[in-house]
Amino acid sequence: MARLIAADDLADIARGAAVLGTGGGGDPYLGMLLAQLAIRAHGPVTLVELDEVPDSACCADAGGMGAPTVGVEKLASGDEHVRAFLALETALGRPLTHVICGEAGGSNSTLPFVVAAHLGRPLVDGDAMGRAFPELQMAIPAIYGVSACPLALADQQGNVVILTAIDNRWTERIARAVTIEMGCTAALSSYVMDGATARRSLVPGTISLCQELGRLIVTARAAHDDPVERVVERLGGRRLFGGRVTDVGRRTESGFARGHALIAGADRWRDQECRVEFQNEHLVAIRDGQLVASVPDLIIVLDTDTAEPVTTEQLRYGLRVTVVAAPCDPRWRSPAGLALVGPRYFGYAFDHVPVEDGGD
Amino acid sequence: MRRLIGEGELADLAQGAAVLGTGGGGPPYLGMLLARRAVHECGPVSLVSLDELADDACCADVAMMGAPTVLLEKVPSGEEPLRALEALERAHRRTVTHIVCGEAGGVNSMVPVVAAARRGLPMVDADGIGRAFPELQMMMPTLYGITAAPLAITDERGNTGVLRTVDNRWTERIARAITVELGCNASIASYLMTGAQARQALVPRTLTLCLELGEAIRCARAAHRDPVAAVIERLGGRRLFHGRVTDVDRRTVFGFARGHALMRGVGEWADTELRLEFQNEHLVARRDGELVASVPDLIIVLQEATAEPVTTEELRYGLRVEVVGAACDPRWRSQAGLAVAGPRAFGYDHEFVPVAAGGPHLGGASWRA
Repeated sequence: MARLIAADDLADIARGAAVLGTGGGGDPYLGMLLAQLAIRAHGPVTLVELDEVPDSACCADAGGMGAPTVGVEKLASGDEHVRAFLALETALGRPLTHVICGEAGGSNSTLPFVVAAHLGRPLVDGDAMGRAFPELQMAIPAIYGVSACPLALADQQGNVVILTAIDNRWTERIARAVTIEMGCTAALSSYVMDGATARRSLVPGTISLCQELGRLIVTARAAHDDPVERVVERLGGRRLFGGRVTDVGRRTESGFARGHALIAGADRWRDQECRVEFQNEHLVAIRDGQLVASVPDLIIVLDTDTAEPVTTEQLRYGLRVTVVAAPCDPRWRSPAGLALVGPRYFGYAFDHVPVEDGGD
Repeated sequence: MRRLIGEGELADLAQGAAVLGTGGGGPPYLGMLLARRAVHECGPVSLVSLDELADDACCADVAMMGAPTVLLEKVPSGEEPLRALEALERAHRRTVTHIVCGEAGGVNSMVPVVAAARRGLPMVDADGIGRAFPELQMMMPTLYGITAAPLAITDERGNTGVLRTVDNRWTERIARAITVELGCNASIASYLMTGAQARQALVPRTLTLCLELGEAIRCARAAHRDPVAAVIERLGGRRLFHGRVTDVDRRTVFGFARGHALMRGVGEWADTELRLEFQNEHLVARRDGELVASVPDLIIVLQEATAEPVTTEELRYGLRVEVVGAACDPRWRSQAGLAVAGPRAFGYDHEFVPVAAGGPHLGGASWRA
């Protein structure tokens, strides 16, 4: 049932989205501030369930593209996200009735609120991934043949680019080049779809799940309970590793934040080492040379004490973290899903092993 | 007065355009082949002078963008310019009535012929520069406040982008990034303007001048006269150098062909060396360290004896060439013009020094300053 999301709800949503963001999706705090600002200025956002979206609805996602390492220094105003959404609408020549969240991730789950609040349009309670992924074509609607195009990109200067590419991979390539030129971050609207397609191809309830995860963490902290354990339970995941970050190699290249972190084990993982590799999002976790989790499953890095999700750009020496793995939406594990986001797509020479089947 | 551009005119047009292209604008032979096929299949293109253009005509520039070094290897099919034009029309929700040649140059004077022939539209006897320049904002219309955007860009696969930008410099930046991603060349349609704007902001009679230059070279060769002298005479330019290419350093970087060539002099210039620097087009010429010509003036490299224009991607060791300097459209020499296309716009730390007082080559008295 449709409900209203007020500014006060955003903190939980942003925190939960950062959990599902698996290190990526932009900075949760910055996204939350923009969303709160928009809701305070324009009123609460109506969150509608996928089941309530009429077949004839015209939906598009709103969010950001680029390297989160840049996003934390070159702050968005939110105006560019509204501009991108409206530019897409103009290019389409018909009104967009609903805003979609493209991915569950740091700021990309809160930026849709900026657009929804500003334009007074409902936001769909769902997302296109059930987590965050670094590239445009990595969306479940793509598995269903939904095109990312027409796609609109906008920057803080006022530049707008509309793309109509031959497939989603080309959309990613061209949009990435434009994003880099715009200063390595840009606002994005894409994946126009009708209500029926949205119901079939989105991951339902993602915004509510984000809110629930965020609230779980806060409640557990207040109760002096173990917030990490609550997250693991809620996601049906498991702990992969716990320890202290000893090294971070991070580069902003080709429009992404790429790199790895080394974590020295503590407690039951004493004398072991975990290596997490990322491209905006965490891609693989390798414990003492053995693969323990990989895309498309979720590899989540949480502050060990507070369960505050740690994005890849926040990873730093000395941080005490727990690495948690959780299963992805089952559609990602289909051959078509793995072709888009499996380990081999990211250049790894091994197949996906579901996190439930991994050894401990 | 109307004239037609048919198959018979294309060789002269391509050759003359390559002269004004100052090393850039793409390989003329390739351009001619594309245009010849289009004209052969769809019939000749009528040329309309700026004076004949109705005030409310809808004119658009169709061109190729990228590095000519790549264009030589990744040959366009000829369909791309039409797709770019159609995307531009959709973006503007207007129907283009006249095709404009953005720059005088090997391919870029021919691509508009392709678009005009295939769409059955007339071409304006003018261009946007009076020569070729490497970047999108380096167009006379920029000096008149006309925006390149909305700009449509497309590739041979069918990828299309429409840019709405804050200024022409940003259009160049974003379009260049897309061009590089599309494989270092792309087709663009841009600078939509009315007939009234075109009369003010374009360089008149450029295509006629190209035809005349091509004809002058052809006739001089046939009559065993010096075709280089014929080019110099027609442009009111002057000979800057005569010699042999001893070194070429050429890189394809940031979507451009950049580099320099060294030439060792003969005859009058024996024991001197000329250094020519280029970014798609020739930018500056220094003889024994002394600046002899620079943008926005035209620095033209012609093969000795034949006056065949040499593009930067064709420059090679051993080639015997003559280097000719000619005055640009005087508007490029204004403060605003030099800010867009003077030596400093290309990163040089010197002022512009005119190569010649300003010859009557481009439209003569019909200049609109």
